[in-house]
Amino acid sequence: MARHNPHDMATLPQLIEEDIKVLNEALHDFLVQTDATTVLVIDKGGFLITHQGESKDFDLTTIGALASGAFMANQTIAGLVNEPSFNSIHQQGENFSIFCCNVDEEVLLVVIFRCHVGVVKYFVATTTKKIADQLEAARKRAPGQGVDLSMLNMADPQEIFRKKI
Amino acid sequence: MAIINQATKELQVKIVYYGPALGGKTTNLVQVHDHVQTAQGNKGKLVSLATSSDRTLFFDFLPIEAMTIKGFKTKFQLYTVPGQVIYNTTRQLVLRGCDGIVFVADSQYEKMPENVESFQNMLDNLTALKLNLGEIPYVLQYNKRDLPNAAPVEYMEFLLNNREVQVPSFTATAHKCEGVFETLNMITRLLLHKFINQSQSHGAPQPA
Repeated sequence: MARHNPHDMATLPQLIEEDIKVLNEALHDFLVQTDATTVLVIDKGGFLITHQGESKDFDLTTIGALASGAFMANQTIAGLVNEPSFNSIHQQGENFSIFCCNVDEEVLLVVIFRCHVGVVKYFVATTTKKIADQLEAARKRAPGQGVDLSMLNMADPQEIFRKKI
Repeated sequence: MAIINQATKELQVKIVYYGPALGGKTTNLVQVHDHVQTAQGNKGKLVSLATSSDRTLFFDFLPIEAMTIKGFKTKFQLYTVPGQVIYNTTRQLVLRGCDGIVFVADSQYEKMPENVESFQNMLDNLTALKLNLGEIPYVLQYNKRDLPNAAPVEYMEFLLNNREVQVPSFTATAHKCEGVFETLNMITRLLLHKFINQSQSHGAPQPA
């Protein structure tokens, strides 16, 4: 299999409805099994890919950015103490706890929950496997496609962000 | 690496503001947050992970939804890195997955060694991440032009913009919001231009 170039702008798999449907089904099953509140799939660069569960009370975009930063920072700390088998972080709280674990080289799963962490850890392996398999299928399907942005008028530099007057 | 989600019709890109300590990276984000014209709900909260003295500890983060192109919502995520030398590991983490870079240089004469060192540090960190500055859109911003000891732009160009391909550079006084939007719009244009070129070379995707 051809390895994707990590720098190509469209390297993370371009996700179509079928991918998101499979990911959402896996996340939904996980919520049913664990009674967790919210589950997110995020990219290690901090992007939110998809989520299931409660979202009204949480700023999921920011949670995604911070969770990826926290995970990567902890992974680096683990490396500094020569621990190669770092795979997850768990923040235990009074109202909500957060569990964040590795899915593949590019993607993380974040779980926000009130239930016992043991249940989350027990079911997370199956869920991450389903997600990783689907992302791999997406990578194989369309490794280099981009988005047709030809409608954009690149001659107008003010078109994108405007300053309030 | 940007995320293209055909199912939710979203394009997400990450722009990182890099540069020496106290150069004005966070100020750029604060000004964008305070002054950007967006539809209601399209501007996220500015999150700062800072020390008690307001120095960036991990990163600042500002998500903005800019526009819709052919049905795609374009979401920009703006990050800053901590400028202080000791936080190099953190800078590497924040650079991961970036699509474009704004290098914010401090125009004061005595800050030139720090500017050059920070630029070299950026190159080293990109190399460590197996990235190449030649392939990442980036722009330069010469900030703090209002200070009396600001070096001439030509001198800063000589120091920071003398690579094989010269990139767009902007003078700025970020705390007055001068040059901030010009810089952001240029990096955004370069990014989208790269996308257009890629999509033309690969062919447009089939709709989901």
